[in-house]
Amino acid sequence: MSEQNKPKLKLAVYWGAACGGCCVSVLDVHEKLFDVVAAADLVFWPIALDIKYKDVEAMPDGHIDVTLFNGSVRNSENHHMAKLLRDKTKILVAYGSCSHMGGIPGLGNFSSRKEIFNRVYHDTETTVNPERIEPKEKYSVAEGELSLPEFYNDVRTLDQVVDVDYYLPGCPPQTERLVEVFMAIVTGAELPPTGSVIGALEKSQCDECERKKTDNKLIKEFKRPWEIIDDGETCFLEQGVICMGPATRGGCGYRCINGNAPCKGCYGPPADAPDPGAKMMSAIGTMIDSNDEAEIEKIVDGIVDPAGTFYRYSLPKAIIRRKLTTIKEN
Amino acid sequence: MSNIRIGVYVCWCGTNIAKMVDVKQVAEAVGNMDDVVISKDYKYMCSDPGQELIIKDIKEHKLNRVVVSACSPRIHELTFRKALENAGLNAYLFQMANIREQVSWVHVNRKEATKKAIALVRGAINRVRWHEPLEKRRVDVNPATLIIGGGIAGMSAALEIARADKQVILLEKEKELGGQLRFVNRTFPDFIPTSDFIEPMKDDVLHHPRISVLTEANLNELHGYIGNFIGHIQTGAKELKVEFGNIIVASGLKPFNPAPMENYGYGKLPNVITSLELEKMLQTGEIRQTNRKLPEKVAIIHCVGSRSSQYHEFCSSTCCMTALKYSNQVLDMLPNSQVYQLYADMRAMGKGCEELYTATSRKNVMFLMYDQEDGLPYIRKAGPKEDCNLLIEVNEKLSGERIEVPADLVVLMVGMEAHEQAKKLGQTVGISLCGNEFYIEKHPKLDPVATTTDGVYVSGSCQSPKNISDSITQAKAAAARILATINYGSVEVEVTTAHVNEDICCGCQTCVRVCPYGAISYIADDRVSRVNEVLCKGCGTCTTSCPTGAISSRHFTEKQILSQIEGVMLELMEN
Repeated sequence: MSEQNKPKLKLAVYWGAACGGCCVSVLDVHEKLFDVVAAADLVFWPIALDIKYKDVEAMPDGHIDVTLFNGSVRNSENHHMAKLLRDKTKILVAYGSCSHMGGIPGLGNFSSRKEIFNRVYHDTETTVNPERIEPKEKYSVAEGELSLPEFYNDVRTLDQVVDVDYYLPGCPPQTERLVEVFMAIVTGAELPPTGSVIGALEKSQCDECERKKTDNKLIKEFKRPWEIIDDGETCFLEQGVICMGPATRGGCGYRCINGNAPCKGCYGPPADAPDPGAKMMSAIGTMIDSNDEAEIEKIVDGIVDPAGTFYRYSLPKAIIRRKLTTIKEN
Repeated sequence: MSNIRIGVYVCWCGTNIAKMVDVKQVAEAVGNMDDVVISKDYKYMCSDPGQELIIKDIKEHKLNRVVVSACSPRIHELTFRKALENAGLNAYLFQMANIREQVSWVHVNRKEATKKAIALVRGAINRVRWHEPLEKRRVDVNPATLIIGGGIAGMSAALEIARADKQVILLEKEKELGGQLRFVNRTFPDFIPTSDFIEPMKDDVLHHPRISVLTEANLNELHGYIGNFIGHIQTGAKELKVEFGNIIVASGLKPFNPAPMENYGYGKLPNVITSLELEKMLQTGEIRQTNRKLPEKVAIIHCVGSRSSQYHEFCSSTCCMTALKYSNQVLDMLPNSQVYQLYADMRAMGKGCEELYTATSRKNVMFLMYDQEDGLPYIRKAGPKEDCNLLIEVNEKLSGERIEVPADLVVLMVGMEAHEQAKKLGQTVGISLCGNEFYIEKHPKLDPVATTTDGVYVSGSCQSPKNISDSITQAKAAAARILATINYGSVEVEVTTAHVNEDICCGCQTCVRVCPYGAISYIADDRVSRVNEVLCKGCGTCTTSCPTGAISSRHFTEKQILSQIEGVMLELMEN
């Protein structure tokens, strides 16, 4: 069979609770899009194509070869589409930090739905809502019943609601990695075992990072990046700045560090560290340069927003998963 | 289907566990868990029939994992591991759930205690599923031994080892051998001149072909591990590199300095001397006051710096008997003198000691008791009209009166304290100090000569204040331990060590500094950290410090620990 007659792959891209950046990263293939469409038909991509949910529902099971699902599962619509696309897809890829580990929306797990609604619909300084109106899942009007998806109390990762074949991490994933993965699928290269992280390295950022590293990681005071005069050469941790690099897979080309900003952790942990936030906190604990309880407490207090620092992208996937005390309030 | 086959055994421990925990209910509750093939309760699991039960079941039911829910693993983990080995199963495919110390002994509500026991056993079952067989490893032993300290303990150990025709390197930081006994005139309770045995012993040590004595020598650095140490030894301007397989630390003690205790006026009042200064007088054969006159009244004050919340809380153990020895020696040399013993408690344990006390109390010795909590004796200069130099004011406990004790010479029984270099030496050889700066032994009862660093032993007063015979006993015990390992030729090393997955390690070096055993090094060429598994004690510090998850501790993997926690939480999670 000639190249041209080879059946094209059916490709879908979908977003759950996401910012849109992942979809844009797909667009960022630029002129390589031609290679993509030469090899694949885009059968569903809400950001770019007008294909309705009902069109997807009409597809036979396993119709789509590859779906890149970005975004976390925040509401019943995300959940429904995750299940639907799982049924319709041969290879379901959790694309980007949000579907991989929960991502930025996952930080919502530090609050309950009630707290979020209170903040958004009542308490923000610019809100005027004297009737205390909140979204309702069902609302009757003369024309019939209107509905909205249910806003869940928990943010979930894609693999917490359906089986996932591969994870392509990043916030967003590096487009080059996507093209590599896509081309591997197109050319029928041998795929890694199901459940693997693809488009990233086995080792963490430090392996690629060229900053000088020693065992002298002793921290007397935590600093934010603007509080140091970075020499551009020394490991951020050795300058007192929290860098998630050691607990984060390489593969992005250590772009943030290259731009003189510490790694935030969007590529997720290496294979053997399921909870990078806990791992990093534990590591940081050994770096604090004091044996005096009061001093240690003072040093730790210097970490601004520890939850958001260590669990910026990974809270729903972490062992702690969410703030426990809020479950009852739901 | 899983190929994991778990046997669970719930021990009654007679009534120890069974009276507070419904052991039958525990065995039933866990019996239907995944992979559990059999679940039984039995009166004494650690007994021979109990162990036989496990062995029989392993064979009959093809068990490949075993959980025993009984006492603390510190007591019987080894017992049951052995049972597994006897049944042909790797010893590490075993997990213990402690439902005695952690449950039956500490709870009063049988229903709640049973619930907790079930949770702990579920945790153990969940954990054991992930256990992996670990192989024991051995390393060869260099037959030479380094002994640090040439006092009575160090010399005794050196001779013991050398007489077995094994090489000894004996380090002494002073110019000559002998340690503190050089300053002691006679022993208690038998009044043997110390020189009668110390001198011939020094001679033996110095001339033994298998002992190299290095005086004015210090250990600068130590590398390696049990069986294969390398020491950097400073002697004068030279630094020698010496190889050996085991180490005995017998670095001795330091006498307490009473100068900071204002009530005794030591260093300010004439004729207030320490026990060591009296020894010097006894050695010269003359006990005299500062003005060369013979003292008529000699007071001996006990517990100087010892058993005090302000100085040292511990008892120096030898001073009471030494003080009785002095009473006799003073009376021998000055038969008309009056001796006063100001004691806090008379501690006369040990062979012949109570007898010495009885004999001494029949002589011209007045025993006066004081209570450390009720004010220490206070010494002041006597007035010109008094028939003595000094007056000691003391709250005499037995009479309940505050009295004055006249004295021409006051002897302060100073206690022993740890050597000022103990901390540094401890860091060099990898042994820790207990709260009072003496070296801490591996186990206070079961292993009082070894330390937590394999191949490093302690003897004599560097471990705690000791008399001569106890020092020698401990030294010979250490020597025997070392000779046993030399004789075997190799030693077993820890298998539950940490190891680095080099495919994941990114070379951040967070782990290097945290290792208390110096077992991790960064390999610059490969840009990874590596664990020397012979040095590693499996403490897990590096594992928790590793941000990449590259380091894991064998037998304490994340999977094992998290599964155990999940098991314990199972009931909570179900609700």
